[in-house]
Amino acid sequence: MHPRKLQLCGSLLLATGIAALISPAYAHDPVFGIGPHVLFKDGVELKLGAHVEKSDRRETEYEFEFKYGITGDWVAGASVGYDRSTGKGPSDSGRAATTLSTKYRFWRNDQFAAQESAALFGKVILDDADTPRNRVNEPDGNDYILGLAYGYEGRKWYRWASVRHRFNADTRANTERPDVWLVDIVGGIRFFPTGYYEPDWVWMLELNGEIVDSANPLINGNRLRLGGDSWFLSPGLMWTYRNIAIKTGVQLPVYDTLAGDQEPDDYRAVLELEWHL
Amino acid sequence: MKQQIAIVMLILLSASVTAAPVRYELRVDGLACPYCAYGIEKKIKALKGVDKDSLDIQLNDGLVVFVADTKPAYSKEKLKTLVNDAGFTLRGISTFDDPKTLQK
Repeated sequence: MHPRKLQLCGSLLLATGIAALISPAYAHDPVFGIGPHVLFKDGVELKLGAHVEKSDRRETEYEFEFKYGITGDWVAGASVGYDRSTGKGPSDSGRAATTLSTKYRFWRNDQFAAQESAALFGKVILDDADTPRNRVNEPDGNDYILGLAYGYEGRKWYRWASVRHRFNADTRANTERPDVWLVDIVGGIRFFPTGYYEPDWVWMLELNGEIVDSANPLINGNRLRLGGDSWFLSPGLMWTYRNIAIKTGVQLPVYDTLAGDQEPDDYRAVLELEWHL
Repeated sequence: MKQQIAIVMLILLSASVTAAPVRYELRVDGLACPYCAYGIEKKIKALKGVDKDSLDIQLNDGLVVFVADTKPAYSKEKLKTLVNDAGFTLRGISTFDDPKTLQK
């Protein structure tokens, strides 16, 4: 197989694993990482999101997510999406994988004008995406993400830290899709302590790490080298007005140790609109 | 006859006193961001007898203030559960019978 095609195969194999990683945020959480935020009891969150990932291909995912607050510390949700991929190789588009997620805030330390908390996070990425790319590298089962998040929110300063592990199913052709560790450290600031009935701005800077297990799957008789670390610096912004939020951010690569001929990402971008009911 | 009129007057007076609106001041810990505090707004506005225009969430003071006209008044336990369901902790509660005499 031509090295270019082999490289494309590798990036597609991993891309199917990364697309669903960049939209895990709940409420006042970081844009790319996760925080311990949940939703009030019987509350509903509706989210529309657009996620772009640019490397040698440009992948755009549009997502609609619904979440429900089971208790004041436990939320569950589901998302559906549409995926489009263009660039080198054939373009394709179709239904993105459906996801089911939940988060349980197991520790909360409420203080005067501040909240510190920690939560467990779980997500299932169903094996139901329907794009030509997905049919080529179709996972033979669901992918799972488990995570732990810590966060501190004050009237001025914010800080978050989280770690997640994504368990990837291999493809139907028995090609290995390596697991991924995700590590996030985030700081945020509200420059002006606005009142409840005023628009509110929180600026964030995230350091996001993706540590992909090494793997050497055999594709059409060629041994592919996958795995390695990628680190991103991600400025982000959250604008809110009472029960409406707009979140946006750009993830810029700053360091990587990718094995083989893997193409590093140029950037990723997120724009999300949330509505609490 | 005068005695009967006086008794009726007293009953009417006491009834009007017990039905007077009550101003609640909740000291809530964990109030850091307005977006997260929306749960409190929604839950308090869903309470029976609440004057929706009276709700004031003072983030910098950790206070949630509202006026409700109910009989009996809302208990501390009920409000504690409400605040917890919104994702916060109720630290203290003050109630005032005559909201007009207090500064908002």
